[in-house]
Amino acid sequence: MSNRWKERSISRIAHFEHAVRAYSADLYRYAWWLCRDRHLAEDVVQETFARAWKSWAELRDVALAKAWLVTIMRNELARSFSRNKPALDIDAVGEAELPALPSVESQLETAQLVSLLPETYREPLLLQVLGGFSCAEIAAMLGTTEGAVMTRLTRARQALRKQYDLPDKKRRAI
Amino acid sequence: MNCLEFHRAKLADPRRLPPEAQSHAAQCAACAAFASSIDEAERDLERTLAISVPEGLADRILLRVHGARPAWRVWALAAGVVLAIAIGLSTMLYRPAPAEQYARQAIEHVAMEPESFHKVNAGDAQALGELLRASGARLKAPLGAVRYVKLCPVDTGTGWHIVFETPEGLATLLIVPGQPLGATQHATNAEWSALARPTRRGYYAVVTPSAAKTTQIDRLVRERIDWDA
Repeated sequence: MSNRWKERSISRIAHFEHAVRAYSADLYRYAWWLCRDRHLAEDVVQETFARAWKSWAELRDVALAKAWLVTIMRNELARSFSRNKPALDIDAVGEAELPALPSVESQLETAQLVSLLPETYREPLLLQVLGGFSCAEIAAMLGTTEGAVMTRLTRARQALRKQYDLPDKKRRAI
Repeated sequence: MNCLEFHRAKLADPRRLPPEAQSHAAQCAACAAFASSIDEAERDLERTLAISVPEGLADRILLRVHGARPAWRVWALAAGVVLAIAIGLSTMLYRPAPAEQYARQAIEHVAMEPESFHKVNAGDAQALGELLRASGARLKAPLGAVRYVKLCPVDTGTGWHIVFETPEGLATLLIVPGQPLGATQHATNAEWSALARPTRRGYYAVVTPSAAKTTQIDRLVRERIDWDA
């Protein structure tokens, strides 16, 4: 085994370990908010990194690792979801599908409101807030246009604003 | 840029406002106020989304992918794996009989959400009445000071998690509409005692630290809430 090969291998392992420690928490959160299942979320994150490691040598730019991991994880989640429900087309959901909230909607906490958002609105919101990605980056990951992502993010925040616009006491009290 | 365009830009990506939007906000007080309210909401959203992550997740990923780790870490992780298997086996061997499934789940739910006992996010009896109406019940008389209310995920969908004060301490009431229950269930572990009772639209569960107190609170709940409203 040549020294250069050894050094490259050690560097590859170090970069991977760094990525695991830097991104696994946010990937877990992202998965959890989509599936709301602790065990499934951890399984998906583990599987994501296991698959990523197999192709880690092909990753040309470590700076792109996070977006690449998100793409792998979306595929893993889609595989899990396909067993239970049909895949959603991000461009097939209209404003009319924003949640019809129950009468106590205004008193639900942010977590419940986020959970009530349709997946096609929730997913870009998670990618932006948890992942820190721009609209253009999210559009590339989701395979849609930047304009479509901006529309979904705008509508998602408008739905959430219904809560924030209420006085703080009323918003939190049930 | 006009105000409408500013609103759209701020709602689409609050942290990446283009320079022309920033210039607009500097000259428009209404849009500056709007931006400020969005920023506050965004901070709230960030806090909400940052749920806790299972301890040792990164180590488990690395163990799975690389296998070999420094010796101390291997032993620590191996011990964790053995413990997890032991807990898994004990869970399988001592799986609760279906007859007490929902009472057992109520205990697990309370144990998994310890913040319900120190976080106060409620206190409005009228709103509790509204919540009960939405669940097909009616509050006949105050139950006690309500401290905590949260809509929680449960096996069959969502249910209301309510913590209220009683003269003997805090008590938990879980309301799970939409899940039929044939008969009353009881479950107990070292820390908690639960009772799950069918209602017209599903079931409710009472969880307290002792069987005697659970029975007492269940009596109070039946007296003060009409479940067939």
